[in-house]
Amino acid sequence: MATTTATLTLASSDLLTDNLSLSSTMSLNKGGTTATGLDQMNYHRAIIPTGTNFDLIAESDALKDNSNYVYIINKNTDVTDFVTLSINDEVIGHLYAGDWTFFPWSCDLSATATDSSVEITANTHDCTIEYALFHVGETLPNSGD
Amino acid sequence: MATTTATITLASSDIADNALNISNTATFYTAGTDTGISETTGLARKKTNSGSNTVLIEPGVANSVGADITADKSAKIYVKNTNDRGDGTKYVTMLILTREIGRLYGGDWMLIPYKASSGKNLEFTASDTTETTLEYCVFYE
Repeated sequence: MATTTATLTLASSDLLTDNLSLSSTMSLNKGGTTATGLDQMNYHRAIIPTGTNFDLIAESDALKDNSNYVYIINKNTDVTDFVTLSINDEVIGHLYAGDWTFFPWSCDLSATATDSSVEITANTHDCTIEYALFHVGETLPNSGD
Repeated sequence: MATTTATITLASSDIADNALNISNTATFYTAGTDTGISETTGLARKKTNSGSNTVLIEPGVANSVGADITADKSAKIYVKNTNDRGDGTKYVTMLILTREIGRLYGGDWMLIPYKASSGKNLEFTASDTTETTLEYCVFYE
């Protein structure tokens, strides 16, 4: 097992009357365990062409019903550029230039879920993103040759 | 305008043969601008001992914490399950409407962008009736 941590710091000196200073650290563990760390990771950098909805993180039998964590950052610098993230057809939100997100992801292969893939659409311009999936397993395609 | 930043650090010394150390800081701007987001719900807590579906954010619903969160712009939501991890079998399932995002185990947090619109609730379901406490905060315009 591996030990991987994700630390968040939220800070502002002028959003509220008093300083906002919040910090939280979590360990990325397998579901159903007290402290067994996830030991598999994919890290990508990709240019998302504008206008088309893509499966960024597709469902896989090896990913189902456990803990997976997703990190995505929009590396564009033009503040008008953004990507739209969704789970299947349900939009989560827009990730503007420089924004990042981190969330747990359930790969749900049940019939009622239809499709639980993490999907992305670039708006305004092509967007360069980096993303990571910390996961419990990966179903590699059979080479077929 | 205000300046609010969110910094993430992902670190591991043993998930690969070289150390993983990713760190990035985002500044919360209004949609398509470099003007800082200036509204927030503030940090809040929600307790439940129900294993049923519970609404955390109801955008645009009067007298709810989400009353003023109505714009499909650049809102961000922070949520943390403050429970202990325990035996690792208890979690809350976070949902956008009925669509499952993922599971927050005790001590887990998430930060997501949020497309606010009427009826687009952020909801959660605890895995059992153990009292569960979530901390959350919405930054919006």
